[in-house]
Amino acid sequence: MEIGPILRAMIRNKLGAVLITLQIAFTMTVVINAIFIINERSNLMARPSGLDEANTFYLSSVGYGDEFNGVVTVRDDLERLRQTPGVVDATVTNAIPVSGSGSNTGVRLVDDEAAATSFAAYYRVDEHAIETMDLDLVAGRNFAAEDVQWRAGSEAITTRELIISQQLANNLFPDREPNGVLGETMFINGSEAHQIIGVVEQLQGPWPSNSSVELSMLQPNSSVGSSATYLIRTEPGQRDRLMAEVEEMLVASNSNRIIRDLMSLEQTREGSYRIDSAMSTILWAIIITLIFITSMGIVGMAVFGINRRRKQIGTRRALGATRLEILRHFMVENLMVSTIGVTLGAILTIAFSIVLTSSFNMPTMAWYYTPLGMIALILIGQVAVLGPSSGAARTEPAIATRSI
Amino acid sequence: MLQMKDVCKVFRTELVETHALNEFSLTIDEGEFVTITGPSGCGKTTFLNIAGLLETLSTGQYLLDDIDVSTLSDYQRAKLRNQKIGFIFQSFNLMPDLNLFDNIDVPLRYRGMKAAERKERIDEALESVGLFARKKHVPSQLSGGQQQRVAIARALVGNPLFLLADEPTGNLDSNTAHGVMDLLQKINDDGTTIIMVTHDQDLASQSKRNVHILDGRISSSDLTTVNENAEPRAVFA
Ligand SMILES: Nc1ncnc2c1ncn2[C@@H]1O[C@H](COP(=O)(O)OP(=O)(O)OP(=O)(O)O)[C@@H](O)[C@H]1O
Ligand SMILES: [Mg+2]
Repeated sequence: MEIGPILRAMIRNKLGAVLITLQIAFTMTVVINAIFIINERSNLMARPSGLDEANTFYLSSVGYGDEFNGVVTVRDDLERLRQTPGVVDATVTNAIPVSGSGSNTGVRLVDDEAAATSFAAYYRVDEHAIETMDLDLVAGRNFAAEDVQWRAGSEAITTRELIISQQLANNLFPDREPNGVLGETMFINGSEAHQIIGVVEQLQGPWPSNSSVELSMLQPNSSVGSSATYLIRTEPGQRDRLMAEVEEMLVASNSNRIIRDLMSLEQTREGSYRIDSAMSTILWAIIITLIFITSMGIVGMAVFGINRRRKQIGTRRALGATRLEILRHFMVENLMVSTIGVTLGAILTIAFSIVLTSSFNMPTMAWYYTPLGMIALILIGQVAVLGPSSGAARTEPAIATRSI
Repeated sequence: MLQMKDVCKVFRTELVETHALNEFSLTIDEGEFVTITGPSGCGKTTFLNIAGLLETLSTGQYLLDDIDVSTLSDYQRAKLRNQKIGFIFQSFNLMPDLNLFDNIDVPLRYRGMKAAERKERIDEALESVGLFARKKHVPSQLSGGQQQRVAIARALVGNPLFLLADEPTGNLDSNTAHGVMDLLQKINDDGTTIIMVTHDQDLASQSKRNVHILDGRISSSDLTTVNENAEPRAVFA
């Protein structure tokens, strides 16, 4: 059988080119889809929560002992916080946006279990929430101080006012302006009827990876047991100083409690998106590694092919090829391999992104990713092959007569 | 057409300095068929490489078609090789991956000639070496003699001023060698100047003029008689 020599001849000539072509196609597929995923992630991460995150922090107060009075402590603490120089405003809340933990409830427009239900996060706060969170009220009004219900323990909620996010308003009343939803009734927590009194432009819920992250609402009541969480907004640049001072101040003001979980919103965001940033880092590492390996493959194949054809190059020089023409010869050779590679790569890229879109609920890749990727890989190939090609161009024409 | 005067070529390596050509002077006129002979290492290939602008000379003067080539750039030398010189090599130096047509096309492409004219010339060149029917074949499908014919066609296709051949029959058996020699003779009869290095005294004596080199110098430059049996008459330069 002739399999041996045939295979050896193929390895010497065609196999290298075929492998590089496949490598380019594979690299392009992975790199483009990875960059798309990274961009999608960073777009998600870049969505604002609606809060003034750079200047906001929070902490929890946990009381103990018989002498501790929750309601008194919370109202006293909030008073102190608001009077602290550098603090813009403070509120009590049951949950922190973007933090990953909080509560949500089903929301319906009619009191019927079978009716369409949205799920929205809720923040139970007082009338200072809008100012503390730096939210933009696009319709309606803020809570009044007398709207707020301070509930001891498990006392039932009696408040009926709701301020909702514009996204939630759009979801419930798709065709209405924010003003048009004021006064409407919503059923939450089963069949509690509430009235919309205001709409804020944006307020994210606590779960950044949830698709309904933009659906949220504020309720004017606070359950004050032994522990409470305060959200505090400071004037620009004062946050870090105030985080330390406020903690000290609260500790000193009441000996029957401890202060815990002191954190800025920026730290919280970083923590919540840690997996996303880790994934981006890993994807970048894969991209760089793949591009490096592919470039090395291209360089290796070019060097191998050039060394194998030294005498042919010398002969071409003898027959009148200028150095530039030799350089061009190998650049064009690479261009041909790359073009086949990126064409195959484009097909694979699109196929792979369709799979991603349909099985992982990713958005559709923008059209320009594929052509830009093709151009980028062709350029990378040309740069990789430039060194070996200019080496080839320096081949002496005398090689033609001097070598066997 | 080719004038060398006191040409020296020195190869320097770390250990030795080789004077491959030493005050080498030679003039070759249009239409000549000159064979170059001499023992191995005497400088035959070096002379051919300098004549063909594949190597530069160390000192001396070389006028090719009245152009002083020592002042030319690498680019200009490449262009001059392409337009004025046809090369024939001992081991043919065909491109193994190209068919005969594309092989002969190589120098014409570097000349930037139009496709139609290239095709006409290539077909004509293939015809003249009797291999037109094989133009789609690759070199490995041909015998050694046929491959050298293709190389000759490639050397001729650009209408060069002269052909340089370094032992063109060195890899061929004597029958085939004579066939190639006859072809070269015919080409010379049609007016192309040929300079050919050979080891074969028999072939050398067929040519009109034989230059014998010893240690980088011309030891004799004979005008041989057409009679193959005649003893060469030494005419010292
Ligand atoms: N690139 C080089 N570097 C060093 N020395 C060289 C080089 N090329 C040739 N030489 C030396 O120059 C001398 C002449 O070499 P050349 O190839 O011209 O001989 P030749 O007459 O063609 O021999 P042969 O009949 O064996 O082909 C030799 O001594 C050779 O070793
Ligand atoms: Mg030689």
